[in-house]
Amino acid sequence: MSPAANSGEILAVSNLTRIFGGLTAVRDVTMTVQAGEVVGLIGPNGAGKTTLFNMLGGSLPPSSGSIRFAGTDCTGAPSHVMGQRGVSRTFQITSLFPSLTALDNVRSAAFRTTRAGWGAAILRSPAYRREEAELRRKALEILAFCDLDHRADTLADAMSYGEQRRLEIAIALAAEPRLLLLDEPAAGMNPEEGQRLVEMIRRIRARGVTVLLVEHHMRVVASVCDRLVVLDHGVKIAEGPPAKVLNDPEVIRVYLGREPVDA
Amino acid sequence: MNTNSHGHSLGQPLAIAGGIAALAVLPFLAGNAYLEHLLVLWMLYALLALSLNIVIGYLGELTFGHAAFVGVGAYTSAILSTQLGLPPLLGLPLAGLVAAGFGLVIGYAALRVVGPQFAILTLGFGAILFTITNHWVDLTRGPMGITDIPPMAIGPLAFDSARPTYYLVLALVLATAYLCHALVGSRTGRAFLAVRENAPLAASLGINVFHTKLMGFVAATAIAGIGGAIYAHYIRVITPDIMGVHNVAALIIVVIIGGRGTILGPILGALVYIGLLESLRVAGPLRMVIFAALLTGTVVFLPGGLISLWQRWRNAHKSENNLPATPTGLPSTEGGAK
Amino acid sequence: MDFTVFAQQIANGLVNGMAYVLIATGLTLVFGVLRIVNFAHGEFYMLGAYITYFVGTLFGLDYIAAAAISAVVVAGLGVAANKLIFWPLRRDHEFTILLSSLGLALLIANGGELLFGADPKYVESPFADEVLEIGTVTLTQQRVLVFAAAVVALIAVYLFIRYSRFGKMMRATAQNPDGAALTGINIGLVHTYTFALACGLAALSGALVGPTVMIFPTIGNWAVLKGFIVVIMGGLGSVTGALFAGLLLGVIESLGGGYISLGFMEAIGYAMIIAVLLWRPNGLFSTARGLR
Repeated sequence: MSPAANSGEILAVSNLTRIFGGLTAVRDVTMTVQAGEVVGLIGPNGAGKTTLFNMLGGSLPPSSGSIRFAGTDCTGAPSHVMGQRGVSRTFQITSLFPSLTALDNVRSAAFRTTRAGWGAAILRSPAYRREEAELRRKALEILAFCDLDHRADTLADAMSYGEQRRLEIAIALAAEPRLLLLDEPAAGMNPEEGQRLVEMIRRIRARGVTVLLVEHHMRVVASVCDRLVVLDHGVKIAEGPPAKVLNDPEVIRVYLGREPVDA
Repeated sequence: MNTNSHGHSLGQPLAIAGGIAALAVLPFLAGNAYLEHLLVLWMLYALLALSLNIVIGYLGELTFGHAAFVGVGAYTSAILSTQLGLPPLLGLPLAGLVAAGFGLVIGYAALRVVGPQFAILTLGFGAILFTITNHWVDLTRGPMGITDIPPMAIGPLAFDSARPTYYLVLALVLATAYLCHALVGSRTGRAFLAVRENAPLAASLGINVFHTKLMGFVAATAIAGIGGAIYAHYIRVITPDIMGVHNVAALIIVVIIGGRGTILGPILGALVYIGLLESLRVAGPLRMVIFAALLTGTVVFLPGGLISLWQRWRNAHKSENNLPATPTGLPSTEGGAK
Repeated sequence: MDFTVFAQQIANGLVNGMAYVLIATGLTLVFGVLRIVNFAHGEFYMLGAYITYFVGTLFGLDYIAAAAISAVVVAGLGVAANKLIFWPLRRDHEFTILLSSLGLALLIANGGELLFGADPKYVESPFADEVLEIGTVTLTQQRVLVFAAAVVALIAVYLFIRYSRFGKMMRATAQNPDGAALTGINIGLVHTYTFALACGLAALSGALVGPTVMIFPTIGNWAVLKGFIVVIMGGLGSVTGALFAGLLLGVIESLGGGYISLGFMEAIGYAMIIAVLLWRPNGLFSTARGLR
């Protein structure tokens, strides 16, 4: 679909801070993501990961600092603008279009990549017909990519939890994002499903999509990420390849009580 | 609006053609002017309900101000034709435009909030328009209403009785149904449904939720305005009551009982509403009690409306024929909003 | 500007406003605690006025007793409405709840018309024709009673919510229904109390205002509109907001009616909410979850 990962920085976050009332949820975080990378954002509960995600996705304006996406300043841009520029996200709590079929979930999600609107549909212009046929083909391809092609006509509401989580990724992919933000995609999954997810993230990367994910399952994080960023109390405390970061004494201290993870 | 568009059979176009043919011969079967009049009312309510359905069914927002836009359209065309002598045919699009203008301003203000707040705000805006209509006597003649409104005419063809008016409104209903069909099959309409189903997710996919809702709201008010104008030129008398709470409730009842988020639902709902309204004429105020009970009953026990009964039957039928289809007797996507 | 007229308008406005506050307090409580927008709330106001009327005329009880009985009966009806409609639907989408309450409103209003007749009624009160003069301001005793009784009722509600066991349960539920349920609070009981309180207040408002106006089975419409304007202006769920917004609406309507045009008085309230919402989309006293 989109051209293979070209090198260079796709996301640059500098000195990003978010204050809620008197509480600083994210403090002075600076980080970058290179095109084609899979970066993991980890940290204990309440470390500010989701707050940072919400700022990147545009659903929460930062208190200070800046966000550059693909060379454009996006600080404070609302959700739909980030979406249009090519940042897709999934949510911590299952978030899809419940009373639409899987196929329609994906078709509705392809807003960014389609053009023919209401007028074209009324006139049934050739461009509209072509686009609809293409959209259908693409949607089925994405469903197949997420192992959901056999469920195309099933209502999202009626799917199993694992299927719903994959449908969420299918929805995000339908927008043909350049950067995909995954918020705890492995939450509630068993090890087998987790392994399937790892495979899927690898294939997503192979499509040329850069991935930033928040995740608690260290096995998933360690096996799929090129680089990790660790937050604690809203502050970035470590960054680097998983093998190095997960053995960092400071990181282990933060995760004290959990077993240190072998990478 | 068929969402599982693969496996297009010949059945659907045939059924549609058959349905349209049946609607076309109905006035000849009616046999008397009273029944023909009821047919016109059915189509008028169907038109208005289809427009309301864009907001309630596709956008998933409840508006209590829809009757006000019907009134704006009715008054616009009535005033233009009685005071300025404008031909009603020209008044019709102008009524749609003026109603859409009101819809744009009111929608722009009210769509900043969602859910119950939006519903209450639209009720407030509707009440303002009602109050203004009721008191701006110089323009609207106040509670006395406007009388002697000329009938709609296209050249020599005057829509001064039920039968021709029926065909005029039927044509508009079919056109609106097609517009809705095209809508849900387009990028725009899918954005509507995405916003209805999950607004934050829709936004994250690049859909401007506010603009999407505003677009749907304005389209709905434009159609409501046109419907109001036709009503004014057919009944020939309008009073501010057209904007009243009673009419607001009636339109909502039609959409909900028929089945929101579908095309056939509002048309069916209008038939049930007009049918019951007339057959229960002797019951007086008990009629509204019955409608109220029907509304609550439908909302609680049959959220997809009457049309969902047919969908349920069809789905059950389908899964018998070609197993394995969907697991249990799932409602079709058309059932839509929860 | 004539000061006497002005003071009179303000006094009238405060009295009307207090009645709005009583209606709106119930509406905002039901929303704040239970997250229900009850479209039928105005119908309990209507029932309050009618039951006062019928208890007075049929049983010959005096006005105060009739009003008290009416408030209690309507509180019971509110509990019944909760049991039949709102409690079973508590897990449903807000759309469903809003529509069901619209159905309930139509049901009660039209049922009322069937039972009570469409012709206006006049609630008898010994205070209706007696006049009280406070400085240059003249008010009927009944209107003074509306204000005074409303103040007493609101203080009682405040104390109830603040200090009683059920008040504490209500506040806990308002802040976090799931958490409240986990700590062993009986949510069903909270529903019952909240509806009893809210509908009782609406009925009290109807019983108080009844003698100052003619009553029709359709006045519930009017009441719920006023209630909504106040609640939206004050912020859904905010009791303090309802108090300020209600008095403000009463005074502004009264001044607008006096100095601009009586006909457009109704429109002034709506214009106010629109202005407020454009400025602060969640109301003047917008709150996160919780009662205040």
